[in-house]
Amino acid sequence: MHAPMAPTGSTDILAIANAPVLWLCVAGVFGVIVVQSLIFLRAVRRAAPAVQMTPGDIRTSFRSGAVSAIGPSLAVALVAIALLALFGAPAVLSRIGLIGSAAYDVSAAGIAAGTLGAKLGDESYTQSVFAVAFFAMSIGGAMWMIATLILTPLLRRGDAKIRAINPAAMAIVPAAALIGAFACLGFTELPKSGTHVVTFAVSAAVMALSLLLAKTLGKSWLREWGLAISIVTALGSALLTSGS
Amino acid sequence: MTSTSTAPAATDQAMAEFDRTTSRWGRATMIAGLLVSIAGPLYLVFAARLDIAPAQLWIAFAAVAATFGIIWIVEPLTYYPILGPAAMYQAFMIGNISNKLLPAALIAQTNIGARPGTRRGQLASVVAICGAAAVHLASLALFVGLLGSWLISVIPPAAMNVTRLYVLPAVLGAVLVQAIVSMKQPRTTVIALAVAAALVFLVLPAVPGLAMVSTAIAVLGTVLLAWFFRSRQPASEARPAQPVHLK
Repeated sequence: MHAPMAPTGSTDILAIANAPVLWLCVAGVFGVIVVQSLIFLRAVRRAAPAVQMTPGDIRTSFRSGAVSAIGPSLAVALVAIALLALFGAPAVLSRIGLIGSAAYDVSAAGIAAGTLGAKLGDESYTQSVFAVAFFAMSIGGAMWMIATLILTPLLRRGDAKIRAINPAAMAIVPAAALIGAFACLGFTELPKSGTHVVTFAVSAAVMALSLLLAKTLGKSWLREWGLAISIVTALGSALLTSGS
Repeated sequence: MTSTSTAPAATDQAMAEFDRTTSRWGRATMIAGLLVSIAGPLYLVFAARLDIAPAQLWIAFAAVAATFGIIWIVEPLTYYPILGPAAMYQAFMIGNISNKLLPAALIAQTNIGARPGTRRGQLASVVAICGAAAVHLASLALFVGLLGSWLISVIPPAAMNVTRLYVLPAVLGAVLVQAIVSMKQPRTTVIALAVAAALVFLVLPAVPGLAMVSTAIAVLGTVLLAWFFRSRQPASEARPAQPVHLK
């Protein structure tokens, strides 16, 4: 059952996942984003008259952004709720809700747990494994910010030059990396049990159907809700298949 | 970047001031967000007495880096031309760029009749992202933060248990399909699926020791094979890059 490397420990993840310090950090992330938004809004208000942007335009832009975010935000919240049992509210809020995404963070946590010989959610998923997985996904998520911090000033200077990086490589390499990673992570789930196979297949089929309907019927909200609908349907089929 | 030579000096000055403020404060807030976001896990790992060896942390991070390292660099590169410098600092902290922030910016630009790439367009997208962030923070705080623990308490234990055990295949099935569809690269897709299948169903059963680095091998193998067997026709190479976006 336990791989030799996995440190022993309690499997009561939520006991440490809801530690007050973690809630404090979530409040910090929320606070930073609020402060950033306020500073940016003030900067826009100052620059707006010079580019013929009226206060009405600013209000319209803010409202447009807010209204168009309702669907995607609720979809993300639904995915986050499905992951609460695995990571606890603070980690889900700061990682899947903000900064990261379900696709990246769940994959990263699975990979990190794997290096300890553990699997997310089963009896090998101890408090220590959770801490290592949370660490790995957070530091990994921070790398996007570090890349943004380094690249944005560089790109401002050498805009056109960097855009002209070999377009074939820019098209092929990220596609190969992402599909390769998700295919490998997904297929690794299959030998675990019949229920894993059913869950994976249902999730993939529902997503394919959502994307197909979004395209043929022109319903773009199906694209935003695709992940949430797929996860909920797949978990429902897992519940039926496992008979628990 | 748009030409600045024809614009009046006052406009230039106002936009230069905007750029200065947003890059200085964008950077400062992003560094703050970065530190706060890693403070939690650092506390757990080092202060919560969970008996974790530093080597375990580095191995776990190395495995994640081997899988996502390329994306860390490529994603900021591909979003920059669309977002512009100011919004970069917002987007990479708020997340869900392609399915939430970009549509928000685009709709705002349409609604006030500003073309993307112009200064009005740039300001409109910054404001739209602020609006999207407000809604996003509110919905997360309400449905996950406030009601989340209540939801956990009312969900039947059986459903909770099934979620814990099977959420990984439930996420990955959908994400794999989403990645394949949005990349629109049939050749790379076939190679990636073949590499991953061969690795998981043939190599790993024979050499279980590779399990820890299997994703990294799949990424590297797919990148090399996809590059080696890429289409050499100039028409398909000229197509603009459209990587899948994780953030």
